Amino acid sequence: MKTDDQEKVSIGAYIALAFAVVFFSGLLKSTEWYGVFDFTTLNGGFGKVLKDATGGLTTFRGAGGSGAADGFMFALGLVPTAMFALGMISVLEHFGALKAARKMLTPLLRPLMGIPGSTGLAIIGSLQSTDVGAGITKSLSDEGELNDTEKDIFTAFQFSGGALIVNFFGSGAILFTLSDTTGAAVPGSIGLALIVMFIFKIVGANVMRFYLKTIDKKATKEVTAQAAEAK
Amino acid sequence: MSAAPESKKMITDVFVEGARKGWGIGIGSIIPNIMMAFIIIKILSLTGALNLLAVVFGPVMAVFGVPGEGAAVLMAAVMSMGGAVGVAVGLLNEGALHARDIAILAPAIYLMGSTIQYAGRILGVVGTDGRRYPIMFGICIMNALMAMFVMNILV
Repeated sequence: MKTDDQEKVSIGAYIALAFAVVFFSGLLKSTEWYGVFDFTTLNGGFGKVLKDATGGLTTFRGAGGSGAADGFMFALGLVPTAMFALGMISVLEHFGALKAARKMLTPLLRPLMGIPGSTGLAIIGSLQSTDVGAGITKSLSDEGELNDTEKDIFTAFQFSGGALIVNFFGSGAILFTLSDTTGAAVPGSIGLALIVMFIFKIVGANVMRFYLKTIDKKATKEVTAQAAEAK
Repeated sequence: MSAAPESKKMITDVFVEGARKGWGIGIGSIIPNIMMAFIIIKILSLTGALNLLAVVFGPVMAVFGVPGEGAAVLMAAVMSMGGAVGVAVGLLNEGALHARDIAILAPAIYLMGSTIQYAGRILGVVGTDGRRYPIMFGICIMNALMAMFVMNILV
């Protein structure tokens, strides 16, 4: 794990991270030139297609559909957003945006959640794949880098909102591109949702930290005391 | 060629690789999940169960500024995040949920999402003590509810 701490993170990686934050925040959502720095703007929308022989136009999905067939057409229309979002995530990752995030996060882990900085790599891994996160956590624990308490706190962080980045950009981000039956667009932004989720992942880890420190500790002590008496 | 270091990769290739992953999620998860959700919602709506859901969960969900039908999204989330997105989209389509409700529900879907599946893939792999499973699930549900509360204020 030492090599990770010493690994240099280039200035370009921080720029990539800053770009990612702005790109998904919705701050630059506009039809002006700076709209090119906004996900929703670049994601665009489908054009209208012919409704009937009279020449009326309707949405890509069609009008008046229902059930499985309508669900299919609707879902098909969401696929480009998922492709674009994950394509952008790949590019940003390629430029080291996640590495920069890890570098910035590492010194904060102890004060934020009471877990060692060596979990930085596992944290970033767990945001992309639950299997990677769980695998690294298991080996950190086996190597003695994490004690039982730290392991449980860290697991709570991973369990709520598992593989957050891939899952959310794969399916949740599309929610912020929709409109309802009255024509109102979904408020907030991809970035806002991401910040809220990340904060609550940390809150969840701290609930576990608190639980282990207070309630669970007493319970474990009592059990061991009883076991000792029984002997 | 396959041994070429990653930094030599063309940026366009990197994008295309990610987009292909998105396509995989699209056909492997989004389309089947949303299609299923549309069918379930059609059943719920035809049988009147959707109205029942609205009445039963209305008072609880009102705390978070969401109609009772939103409970269906949360129930689906425990099984699968993609399924819950499908249910949310289906209800939006029916007019049972509105744009603002979706924004409130979105973080909650992920914070308590796919927990049944992840119990095996995270808790099982890490080797979490069985006694702590309930608190792990409890934390996820609590995180989701608190996120809804916060989103209700923010949007």
